[in-house]
Amino acid sequence: MAERVTVGRREPHATDALFDTLGKMAHDGTALLHAYVGAQGLTLVAAPAGPGAPEELVLGPGPFARPTRTGHQLFWGVEHALPAAVWHHAGRRHPVRGRGLHLMPLGPVRGDVSESLAYQLVVLGDEIHQVRLRAGYKRRHVVEAMAGAEVSSALAVAERVTGTSPVAHALAFSLAVEHALGLAVPAADQQARLVLAELERVTSHVGDLALLAASTGTVAAAAEWLRLKETLLRFQAALTGHRYLRGVVGPGGHRRPLSGALSALPALVAAVRQQVDGVAGALEATNSYLDRLHGAGRLPEYADGAVYWTGFVGKSAGLRRDTRWDAPYADYGALTSDLAPVAVNQPDAYGRAWVRVGEVRQSLTLLSRVMEAGPPAAASSRPPARCGAGVGLGRVEAPRGRLCYRVEVRGEHLVAASITTPSQLNWPAVPLALEQRNILQDFPIIDASFSLAVSALDL
Amino acid sequence: MFYRRWLMHYLKRPVVTSFPGRSDPDAPARGPLDVTANALFRQSLTLRQLDGGSCNGCEAEIQLLASPVYDLSRFGFAVSPSPRHADLLLVTGVITEAMVPVIRTAYDAMPEPRLVVAVGACATEGGGVFHGLPGVVGRLDAIVPVAARIPGCPPSPNDLLAGLLAAVGRPAPTAVAR
Ligand code: SF4
Repeated sequence: MAERVTVGRREPHATDALFDTLGKMAHDGTALLHAYVGAQGLTLVAAPAGPGAPEELVLGPGPFARPTRTGHQLFWGVEHALPAAVWHHAGRRHPVRGRGLHLMPLGPVRGDVSESLAYQLVVLGDEIHQVRLRAGYKRRHVVEAMAGAEVSSALAVAERVTGTSPVAHALAFSLAVEHALGLAVPAADQQARLVLAELERVTSHVGDLALLAASTGTVAAAAEWLRLKETLLRFQAALTGHRYLRGVVGPGGHRRPLSGALSALPALVAAVRQQVDGVAGALEATNSYLDRLHGAGRLPEYADGAVYWTGFVGKSAGLRRDTRWDAPYADYGALTSDLAPVAVNQPDAYGRAWVRVGEVRQSLTLLSRVMEAGPPAAASSRPPARCGAGVGLGRVEAPRGRLCYRVEVRGEHLVAASITTPSQLNWPAVPLALEQRNILQDFPIIDASFSLAVSALDL
Repeated sequence: MFYRRWLMHYLKRPVVTSFPGRSDPDAPARGPLDVTANALFRQSLTLRQLDGGSCNGCEAEIQLLASPVYDLSRFGFAVSPSPRHADLLLVTGVITEAMVPVIRTAYDAMPEPRLVVAVGACATEGGGVFHGLPGVVGRLDAIVPVAARIPGCPPSPNDLLAGLLAAVGRPAPTAVAR
């Protein structure tokens, strides 16, 4: 059974003292994450022994993560906690006040088509000096919805935590349930999981690149990316019956077989690769696009070691962290042995876009490798009966970074669940990146270069 | 240089979907719509999307309306960043308590005549799988009058186009470029 350590909420000065001690002890991200979790009165759940790193963490809702009644209650993770940890390295943080400084509220209804999140920008003329995020507008209480529910209905909720990465969520959930109950998964389903996860990554990254191109005014490129995304979505609909691949991955095996459209995958991969090379290559030669990305939203160096940036935010800061390599699941172990995570040491909007283009190419390589080794059998296996009880952990690399599920299962029911999404870990990077002498015109570009999900932050 | 690729596209056939003039063989069929027909807007129409607690799936599909495949602007539709310039409000997601005042404010800011369209299973079926959770209101018509409901989780861009045209009482055009 997991060991639960609950740390009560402390006063702000105690938080600082804690960071002081820990900052001296270790500059390593995990230690600071421990500290931050403790200081914020959250529950730190030690993972049960399993594959991968021994001290893997899952953040559970602590005594202060109560249901919020209004959007005005500030969300712990963003408003105070992680930036506080980072500011500790840069010196104490004070609210910015002074002549000519204005508070510019933006949101929760903002942008063209976007999720509800409020920014408070402190600006001097055009320059952004301080940014605060106000989240909590769209808390749906997914963790509460899962606790006590049947495994199948909890899975339906998991697929709707972030609507654009349902495979990652369903897979992490399934891995956790399989870990808890000791279920085995047929080899064909393992392969098919990899296909679905990589398809989802390609689709998600292409969509992000479209938003980024649109934010820089490169509408022709945005149209090409969007058209490519639509091609992928239509293939996904033909493959699984759902444009976003919902309803397939489940604990112990597929809930639904993949259709015969799988045989068209190699042709699709070749076509997508050609299109990606064409559009990304043309953008690499478009100065109006590059000028706006280079140097925009650069993460400060002192943030690197302090916080566990994950996914393309971490990789663009030179951190080679990727769950597919660190703790392989599905069929990744054999397929990725001669590859390395895409990483670059340029933590700005360009670096984040560059990493995503690289990851798209890498995912296409993985997809063609799976298909060369013989396409996964299309037949679905009846998932084994779920009996017994236990605690399990599931970790996957979602399109936006590491995603962890921790579940306690008893038979067909879920006793408790906790989720750490990549967006939760990466949202604190957005204010940090915005405050580095950027101007308001850069705001949409930096926002799009992160393209994090608010639904996975508010949970 | 992107201009070269851009110019080359002029030599190719348009990629716009044949929907709704003809059926679109590649896209999933749409579900039934629930529409109170309004013949209020004959010409251009400005949309504003409002997220009342969605999973981002509905937003992803609404964003695709601007793609060359669906090309919202061929019907005179445009997306506005502000509710003050919008004729039609697309509301997605379970409606959370925190979003109730925001939805009301946005609706009040819209000029008359105005329409509200509920998008997705969350907004049309009382929260979908999130029904009854703390903080989930689920009922959009208790806050603002709803003119049309577009079901689906998420509704495909074709469903959205059909729903939008029906909501403003426009017949589906019979001939669409293909
Ligand atoms: S209807 Fe479905 S896709 Fe849309 S917000 Fe709700 S869960 Fe997400």
